[in-house]
Amino acid sequence: MMEFDSTHLWMHFWAIATAATVSAGCALVGSFLVVRRLSLLGDAISHAVLPGIVLAVLAGGRPGGAGVFLGAVVAALVTVWLTNLLGTHAGLAEDAGAGVAFTTLFAIGVVLVTALASRVDIDPGCVLYGILELVPFDTVPIVGLEVPRALLAAATVLVVLVVAAALCWKELVFTAFDPAAARAAGLPVSLVSAGLLVATSLATVASFEAVGAILVVAMLAVPAAAAELLVRRFHRMLLVAVALGVAGSIVGYLAAWHFNTNAAGMIAVVLGIEYLLAAILAPGDGIVARMASRESLRWRVACEDRLASLWRAEEGDAAALAPRTLVDRLAQARLVFGGRIVPGRAGGLTDIGREEARVIVRSHRLWEAWLGRHVALPLDHLHPPAEWIEHHLGAEVRGRIAADLEGDVGDPHGRDIPPEEFPRRAANEPTR
Amino acid sequence: MSTTSAGLEFHDVTVAYGRRPVLWNVDLTVPGACLFGIIGPNGAGKSTLLKAALGLVPLAGGEVRILGAPLEQVRSRVGYVPQRESVDWDFPVTVTDVVLMGTYARLGWLRRPGPRERSLAAECLDRVGLADVADRQIGRLSGGQQQRVFLARALAQQADVYFLDEPMAGVDARSQERIFRVLSDLRAEGRLVVIVHHDLRSVAEWFDAVALIDMRLVATGPVAEVLTPENLRRTYAGRLDVLDEIGRAVAEGGRTP
Repeated sequence: MMEFDSTHLWMHFWAIATAATVSAGCALVGSFLVVRRLSLLGDAISHAVLPGIVLAVLAGGRPGGAGVFLGAVVAALVTVWLTNLLGTHAGLAEDAGAGVAFTTLFAIGVVLVTALASRVDIDPGCVLYGILELVPFDTVPIVGLEVPRALLAAATVLVVLVVAAALCWKELVFTAFDPAAARAAGLPVSLVSAGLLVATSLATVASFEAVGAILVVAMLAVPAAAAELLVRRFHRMLLVAVALGVAGSIVGYLAAWHFNTNAAGMIAVVLGIEYLLAAILAPGDGIVARMASRESLRWRVACEDRLASLWRAEEGDAAALAPRTLVDRLAQARLVFGGRIVPGRAGGLTDIGREEARVIVRSHRLWEAWLGRHVALPLDHLHPPAEWIEHHLGAEVRGRIAADLEGDVGDPHGRDIPPEEFPRRAANEPTR
Repeated sequence: MSTTSAGLEFHDVTVAYGRRPVLWNVDLTVPGACLFGIIGPNGAGKSTLLKAALGLVPLAGGEVRILGAPLEQVRSRVGYVPQRESVDWDFPVTVTDVVLMGTYARLGWLRRPGPRERSLAAECLDRVGLADVADRQIGRLSGGQQQRVFLARALAQQADVYFLDEPMAGVDARSQERIFRVLSDLRAEGRLVVIVHHDLRSVAEWFDAVALIDMRLVATGPVAEVLTPENLRRTYAGRLDVLDEIGRAVAEGGRTP
């Protein structure tokens, strides 16, 4: 761990502020890329800007200056143009086109950097990994405060991106969701798409110095992808993505400080962990939620099977199966506790239990009858599918199936299909 | 709306992908205010014809006029329902969000949908029978419901001419009935509805007029006159190898055998 004095603290503060600002801008743009399934384009652009930067520096631009910015944006647009060109004229699939265009441009950048090493003050290593730790040493004075130049650039870009997104919100969302309909409605779809590409290059170039070409892809894609798992509305996804990006930058930097390792790398690792957590914990589609829903279904099926088995025993067809597995025993206990089964060894159905069991058996036999009528299936193949579907039939569909069977009250095995409503006996009707 | 001029006119329209023509010399006039079907086999160029009318694919030749004017002048009066598979239904928006998109073009830059647009969206959702799922994420809808969301978005555009691309594909019978009813209402309000459709059975029941298409216009006119066994045979059975071969030769800059 580093020394703990106030100068150092300032340094760390500036580095963290830079990382967080860069990350917020990337998450903002990245959200649009992720919902348009264009995350790889961020990858392409972040690599392809290298020759633009090198050439701009060669032409006399200061690293991080406006000229270099412009060079990078031009290089990014050339990539996109090349990708389209390869797609339409050389017949290359879009992803292959992007693959060819950005790797070639990046390679040209690498060749230029190394060939012109004496004249260009760019370190290939920091192009790839960034130098977040050195950001606080290159400052410009603003109202008496020495602010890192990288932070200034990132903040400017962030403001531009936020304003642009706010102004073109409708157009951006419609174009992202349904470009053909947006174009038919007369929205300037090509302009909006080009704008998104320029925004991607701006975010990328602003991040370049801090996190490098490879890790900027993580900042573009990962927080947005995680946010997409967590929320179902786009504006919320954007806010969550930015929050995750900023949080990941702070935590990642502090972790890197603690473990004395590369800050940009650690930030990307933390973002990856955030995504993993989102995938596990996401409501509805997360791994935990899906497991819970599967278990709850298994539990319901066990209870319902138990009830149906007791109902059949009362019908006199078969002896009730004794609960065997652990789940069966738990289901039995649960049904006794819930007042569906009479406690004790004999353990018959209570009135409520009988009502519920009847519905299950009705569902089962209705489905057997329906299959027997509409599906070419041998008689002895009807039981297994009905065992499965009986747990998923609701009252409305049962009614439709019954109507379809036109009052046929027997199942294909010749047993009665229990009625939906328990028939109320008139007082004078003799009990059988 | 101006009902004096024809609703939709194709004048000798040819569409090519790259240099290869896929739709040859379509000359077709659709009168105003009717349900008009574009019918034909797979790969006949039905969707392409629709996209040509909407300016989504460039014309290799000919001219399209809508309500008597070029598309650019009447764009705000044209509504479009694309094929359901053309978008990603996992996109994080709600049903209402999608319907509101129908109001975006009229709102113009910088203006957000307000109470008026919201009540319009609610009204359109009600018309297609989706009021109860207004706040649901679109991925959680059935195919028929998704198709009705698209229809509601087009309704929110309050257009005079509607283009629908296969609105009944993968749609349950109840949604289909509902969609046809809404479209019939649009016709009753004096609007033109052009539908790319492939189910011949429902054509006679709902449509006023049709065009039979198979890389070229085979026949067009009122349903009873056009759906003859002879026309259907020419549309569905007679794959025109000669158009295929010429198209390939044009694309390659060569000559046919």
